[in-house]
Amino acid sequence: MKTLLLSAAAIAMAATGAQADTSGKRIALSNNYAGNSWRQAMLEAWEDAGSAAVDNGIVAAADAFTTSENQATEQAAQIQNMILQGYDAIVVNAASPTALNGAIKEACDAGLTVVSFDGIVTEPCAWRIAVDFNEMGRLQVEYLAQRIPEGGNLLEIRGLAGVFVDEEISAGIQQGIEENPQFTISGSVHGDWAQDVAQKAVAGILPSLPEVVGVVTQGGDGYGTARAFDAAGRDTPLIVLGNRQDEMLWWAEQRDANGYETMSLSIAPGVASLAFWVAQQILDGAEVPKDLNVPFLTVTQDTLDDVLAETPEGSVASTTYEQADAQAVIEAAE
Amino acid sequence: MVKTLLGRSWIWSWIAAAAAFGLIMLLTQGRGAEELAYAALSFGAFAAIVGLGQMMVITLGPGNVDLSIPATMTLAATLALKGMGSDPGTSLLGLAIAIGVGCGAGLANFALIYLLRLPPIIATLAASLIYQSLAIWSNRGLRIKPPADLADFATGRTIGIPNVALIALVLSVVVWIVLERSVFGRWLLGSGQNLRAARLAGIPTQLVRAVTYTSVAVLAAVAGYLLASFSGGASLNMGQEYLLSSIAVVVIGGTSIAGGNSNVPGIWGASLFLFLVVSMLNSYGLGAGVRMLLTGLIIIGIVIAASTRRGRA
Repeated sequence: MKTLLLSAAAIAMAATGAQADTSGKRIALSNNYAGNSWRQAMLEAWEDAGSAAVDNGIVAAADAFTTSENQATEQAAQIQNMILQGYDAIVVNAASPTALNGAIKEACDAGLTVVSFDGIVTEPCAWRIAVDFNEMGRLQVEYLAQRIPEGGNLLEIRGLAGVFVDEEISAGIQQGIEENPQFTISGSVHGDWAQDVAQKAVAGILPSLPEVVGVVTQGGDGYGTARAFDAAGRDTPLIVLGNRQDEMLWWAEQRDANGYETMSLSIAPGVASLAFWVAQQILDGAEVPKDLNVPFLTVTQDTLDDVLAETPEGSVASTTYEQADAQAVIEAAE
Repeated sequence: MVKTLLGRSWIWSWIAAAAAFGLIMLLTQGRGAEELAYAALSFGAFAAIVGLGQMMVITLGPGNVDLSIPATMTLAATLALKGMGSDPGTSLLGLAIAIGVGCGAGLANFALIYLLRLPPIIATLAASLIYQSLAIWSNRGLRIKPPADLADFATGRTIGIPNVALIALVLSVVVWIVLERSVFGRWLLGSGQNLRAARLAGIPTQLVRAVTYTSVAVLAAVAGYLLASFSGGASLNMGQEYLLSSIAVVVIGGTSIAGGNSNVPGIWGASLFLFLVVSMLNSYGLGAGVRMLLTGLIIIGIVIAASTRRGRA
């Protein structure tokens, strides 16, 4: 009965186009961490895109797996299990850019398609959907330079120490400072991309800081920073935000109260759906370059209300990518 | 006088905290002293509350530790904030939910240790995966804001002292009285010093363990509830840093890691120190690598100072 239905679906799909090629293919998501709102939104984006694709008969399965301890060894074992389970493609958000390379190579050798995104891997046989984190840092300083041409002291909120993304964004900020020497970083703390950690770290360093005109951040830390400035009785500086709903809500409240202006940028967690469609396109036989770039999602004073209305309370601003978006990204890279 | 003071193992954490404070003041030339002290008390309070619980468990003797503290904090805070749904006047309901979660988590931990005979490290670590998953499942990591009156209370102050620090202080006094002045405290210390001797002396050692594992979970749940109210919502990774710091404040505070000897004043010295040392190293602009290295070295230094003094006494 099931085969009958499947073949009926296959015939139906064959009539509509080339997608029939992937209707029997199974795609797995290997995810290293689920413990924050960005990752939760990312998993939801995967589920939405994956289940819709399964319902429409575009792929046979789109299962998500998350490791519990955020360890590269654990994720390598997970990928090996996926090979044994006979998946046709693995989409991976990696715990480490290099430590998974062995397992990824095994998957490639077994004939699987591997697509890494967000946390990308260096193994050449895998595809990489990367975000230009460096640019994300540089753009923040560029924005501050437009808003505060006379410059001044900046506070830098960094992410999790020792993580690739943190180093990239911070390097971008340094580059921005070199281009705009009217700014100096007078203090830097690690906020671990979490509001409460950032709040604590900023509260600790504030007493030793001179007047701060701007704060450059990495996302997930802007609201905590604002609360720390508020608790210390200081004027709120220009804080660049990272698309979290609580940050944007705070921004909208400040705007209504005193005309506060800033910008907000981060990667949309919907990038998981883009990775899904890229994997599907590769399985479909499309020629896809190994390195793809996703644009980051920027919220400005003008788009704030619309984005805020669309973002669930306590979540992160996101966009959902469709098959056509994936095709556009692939074309842009060629 | 000085000699008696130096003989106390908790004094070293207070000396270290004062030194870190002094070094920051050196940099700012005395500016922001009040601001810094206020921040240290606010943030130290959370580490102190979970530290008190961890101290009681560690006092139970070798091998006893609760690694589920971060997950219990997250689960209690998530469910409490969800239960309150930002509605004013529901603070007590939220607190009741948090304490209920704490009791449940504590009893579950003890059941794993007692019924399945699992070592506490394994039992609480495994249980923490379940609590964390429950927290994820119950709310998918969405941040719900605390009711405005509760948020104002958690971030507010009374006679110049942060409210959260006052609560932590009251809890500390309660724990101190229980440990130093009650029969239960004697039982706990006795079980930690020699479990077999305690059992033969007629101490209900399993009851002591059950109450202790429940207490630590309740304290963690209360800390989670307060932290979420303080920082504007519960997040899935809010408890993460309290795993290591709950153990660190116990050790730095001069409580014997081998059990049977607890130390409440040291918990406070160590909690303030942990906040101040990070602030100090941040203020001097040291990178993350150097900062972690120095934090580790300083902690080792204090532990050595505190334990050699105790050895001589």
